[in-house]
Amino acid sequence: MEQAPPDPERQLQPAPLEPLGSPDAGLGAAVGKETEGAGEESSGVDTMTHNNFWLKKIEISVSEAEKRTGRNAMNMQETYTAYLIETRSIEHTDGQSVLTDSLWRRYSEFELLRSYLLVYYPHIVVPPLPEKRAEFVWHKLSADNMDPDFVERRRIGLENFLLRIASHPLLCRDKIFYLFLTQEGNWKETVNETGFQLKADSRLKALNATFRVKNPDKRFTDLKHYSDELQSVISHLLRVRARVADRLYGVYKVHGNYGRVFSEWSAIEKEMGDGLQSAGHHMDVYASSIDDILEDEEHYADQLKEYLFYAEALRAVCRKHELMQYDLEMAAQDLASKKQQCEELATGTVRTFSLKGMTTKLFGQETPEQREARIKVLEEQINEGEQQLKSKNLEGREFVKNAWADIERFKEQKNRDLKEALISYAVMQISMCKKGIQVWTNAKECFSKM
Amino acid sequence: MAGGPPKALPSTGPHSLRDMPHPLAGSSSEEAVGGDSTPSPDLLMARSFGDKDLILPNGGTPAGTSSPASSSSLLNRLQLDDDIDGETRDLFVIVDDPKKHVCTMETYITYRITTKSTRVEFDLPEYSVRRRYQDFDWLRSKLEESQPTHLIPPLPEKFVVKGVVDRFSEEFVETRRKALDKFLKRITDHPVLSFNEHFNIFLTAKDLNAYKKQGIALLTRMGESVKHVTGGYKLRTRPLEFAAIGDYLDTFALKLGTIDRIAQRIIKEEIEYLVELREYGPVYSTWSTLEGELAEPLEGVSACIGNCSTALEELTDDMTEDFLPVLREYILYSDSMKSVLKKRDQVQAEYEAKLEAVALRKEDRPKVPADVEKCQDRMECFNADLKADMERWQNNKRQDFRQLLMGMADKNIQYYEKCLMAWESIIPLLQEKQEAK
Repeated sequence: MEQAPPDPERQLQPAPLEPLGSPDAGLGAAVGKETEGAGEESSGVDTMTHNNFWLKKIEISVSEAEKRTGRNAMNMQETYTAYLIETRSIEHTDGQSVLTDSLWRRYSEFELLRSYLLVYYPHIVVPPLPEKRAEFVWHKLSADNMDPDFVERRRIGLENFLLRIASHPLLCRDKIFYLFLTQEGNWKETVNETGFQLKADSRLKALNATFRVKNPDKRFTDLKHYSDELQSVISHLLRVRARVADRLYGVYKVHGNYGRVFSEWSAIEKEMGDGLQSAGHHMDVYASSIDDILEDEEHYADQLKEYLFYAEALRAVCRKHELMQYDLEMAAQDLASKKQQCEELATGTVRTFSLKGMTTKLFGQETPEQREARIKVLEEQINEGEQQLKSKNLEGREFVKNAWADIERFKEQKNRDLKEALISYAVMQISMCKKGIQVWTNAKECFSKM
Repeated sequence: MAGGPPKALPSTGPHSLRDMPHPLAGSSSEEAVGGDSTPSPDLLMARSFGDKDLILPNGGTPAGTSSPASSSSLLNRLQLDDDIDGETRDLFVIVDDPKKHVCTMETYITYRITTKSTRVEFDLPEYSVRRRYQDFDWLRSKLEESQPTHLIPPLPEKFVVKGVVDRFSEEFVETRRKALDKFLKRITDHPVLSFNEHFNIFLTAKDLNAYKKQGIALLTRMGESVKHVTGGYKLRTRPLEFAAIGDYLDTFALKLGTIDRIAQRIIKEEIEYLVELREYGPVYSTWSTLEGELAEPLEGVSACIGNCSTALEELTDDMTEDFLPVLREYILYSDSMKSVLKKRDQVQAEYEAKLEAVALRKEDRPKVPADVEKCQDRMECFNADLKADMERWQNNKRQDFRQLLMGMADKNIQYYEKCLMAWESIIPLLQEKQEAK
C-alpha cells in the first residue's frame, strides 16, 4: 500500500517552487484569468534546478473546446470533445507570458490523471473534476453533453481543476501532472506504466475496513460524517435551486405576453395607444432579461457543485485512514496471537487453538526438536511483525499528520471559496432586482402617459 | 325627495319636462328657451330626457311636453363636457365598514353607505344607511329599467363558488367593498344617473325592503317607452358611429380577457415560484448547522430568501385583490354596454319599420303620425344619451386603466425594492472577516 510523503520518483526534484497563485487561488483566480503576481511572496526557490520549467511561474488555461470524431477502442465511430490546454510561463523580468506548451486532451484523460493522483496522494484532498454529465438541470438547460453551454461550463471546470492542482504545494510538483501539460503523445502509456491501477485499494477492502475498524481517529470519523451531510445538503440545494430557476423563468416569460396584447389593444385606442405600446415593449425587455440572469446563476451552481464533489474527495481520505488503521489493527492482532502461540509452545500450555496443536493431540506429540524449530520460526515472525507494526504505526501517524494538514488547508480554501460564491450570488440577485426596478419604472412612466 | 320645480343648479340635473321644447316644433323651440343658442342650464338639464322630479304612478308626463331632440339641443348635449370636477361636486358617497350579520336563515355582510349632499333632492345634508349586496343588485336593475339609454356601471360578480372562495374572508369582503364603492361613485359622477329616484332612495331610505315591496314603478317616461319597444324589428345596418362603438367594445373585451388570463397565469407562476423559494431558503439554514465559519453567512442567505418570499407573497396577494377584480369589472361593463347598443338598435329598427310602413301606405299626409314621431324621439334621445355616455366612459376608462396599470407597475417596483434591500443588507455580513482564532 503506497503512502504519501513526497515520493522522489513521482516528484519533480527541484526545491519547492512557488505554487501558482498560492493558497489564495480560489475559484476567482481559476477562470482563465491571469493570476496576479503572487510574486510578492518569497518563493524559497533559490536552488538551481535542471528543470527550468518550474522556476518560472506558470499560467494554465483550458482555452478551447472542439468537437472531434474518432474511433474508440471497439473501433466504433464516436464523437467527443477535446480541450486545448495552454501553458504559459511568465518571465519574471518583464511580466510577459510566453506560450511554452499547448496540447489537446479529452475528458477521459483528465479522469485518468485524477485516478492516478488519488492513488499516489491518498492523504491529499484531490480536487474533483467537473461533472461528466449535466445534472441538476432546470428544464430549459440541455442535459446534452454536446450542448455548447455545457461544453463551455465544462471547459471552465477543467481549467479550474488544473489550476487547483497547480496551486497545491505538493500536487503541483507531480511528474505525471507535468507531463499531462507538456507531453501530448504517449502520456496515457506513461501513466499506465506507473502501474497505479494495481496499487489502488480495492473497494471491497476499503468497505470491509470501514465496517470493522475499531479505533479510527475521531477527527476522521467526524470528517466523514461531515462530508456525508455536506453532500446531502448541497445536492438538495442544487435540486431546489434548479426548480426555483425553472419557476422564475416561467414568471418572466409569461410577462412577454403583455407585450403582444398591449400592442394589439393600443391599435383600437386613441390617446391610450402610445403609452400602451411602449409599455408593452418594456414587458418584452423584461421577459427576455431572464435568460442572461439564469445563465449567470449557473456559474454559482457550478461553484456549489465543485464542493459537492469535493465531499467525495474528503471521504476518500477518510477511507484511506480507516484502511490503514484497520491494517494496523489486524497486524497488531496477528502479532499478539503469534506471541500467544509462542508462549504456549514454550510453556506447554495450550490455550489457543491451533491446527498443529490439534493434530499433535490426535496424532501424537511432536518431538522437542520439532517444537524448538517451531518456536524459532514464530520468534522470527514475531520480530518481523514487531518491525512491521512499528513502521505501520509510524506510517499511520505520518498519514494522519499530513492528511490533517491538507484538510486544514482545504477547510480554509472551502470557507474562502464559498464565501466568495455567496457574495457573487448576492451580487447577482442585487443586479436582478435593479433590472426589475428599472423595467417596471419605465413601464410605469409609459402607463402614466396613457 | 324634491318638491316643486328644481332650481337651476350649476351642475347638470333634471329639469321639469314642462320646460322642454318640442323637437319638431321648429323654431319655436329656440324661442321657448329664450332664443339664445348658448347652452343654458335648462337645456343642459334637458339631456336626460327621462328624469322626473315627481312620482307619477302611471309614468305619464304632463301634457305639452316631449323630448328636446331639436338639433340645437342635441348639439349642446354633445358639446357638453359633463365631467364634474371636485369644485362643482355636490354629492359624495362612500361605502365602508363591512359587518357580518348572522341570522337564523342566513349569514350576510352589510356595508355602510354614507352620503353627503347639498342637492335639494336630499332632505337632509347627510345620510348613513346599511346595505347588502342584493340591495345593490336591486338598484342596478332599477337603473337599467329606468335609464335604458344610459350605460349603467357594473357590479362585482354576484356568484362566488362556495368552497373555493371564502365569502367572509377579509380579502374578499374588502375587494367587494372597493368594487361597490366604485359602483356608487360612478353613478354619483353621472349627470343623469345621480339624480335617479331609485338611487336617491337607495342612499336615504331607512327601510329599503319596504320600499322594494311597494313595487312602485318609478319608470321614467323614457324607461317606459323603451320598455315597450318590441323586439321584433331587425335593424338593417347600424349607423357607422355605433357600429364603430360595437366593434371597439368587442375588441376591447377580447383584449381585456386576454390580459386577465395573462395576469392570472403570472400569479399562478409566481405562487409556484414562491413554493419553491419556501423550500430553498431553509436548505441554507440546514447547511449552516454543519459549518463553522460559514454558519453566519449561510444563515444570512437563508433569512434573505425568506424576506424575498414574503415580499413575493405580498405581490401576489395585491395583484389578486386589486388588479384582477378591476379587469373583470371592465369586462362586465363592456358586456352591459353591448346590451344597451342592441337595445338602441331595436329602437332604431322600430322607427325605421314604422316609417317605412307609413311610406308604403301612400297616404297623402303632410304630417308624420304621432307614434312614428315618438319613435324618432326615442331613437334620437337614445343616440344622444349613448354617445355622451360613451365619451364619458372613454375618459373614465382611460383614467381607470392608467391608475390600474401604474398600480401594477408600482407593486412590482415595491417587490423588487424589498428584495434589493434584503440582499444589499447581507453583503456586509458575507464580507465580514472572521475573527482570527
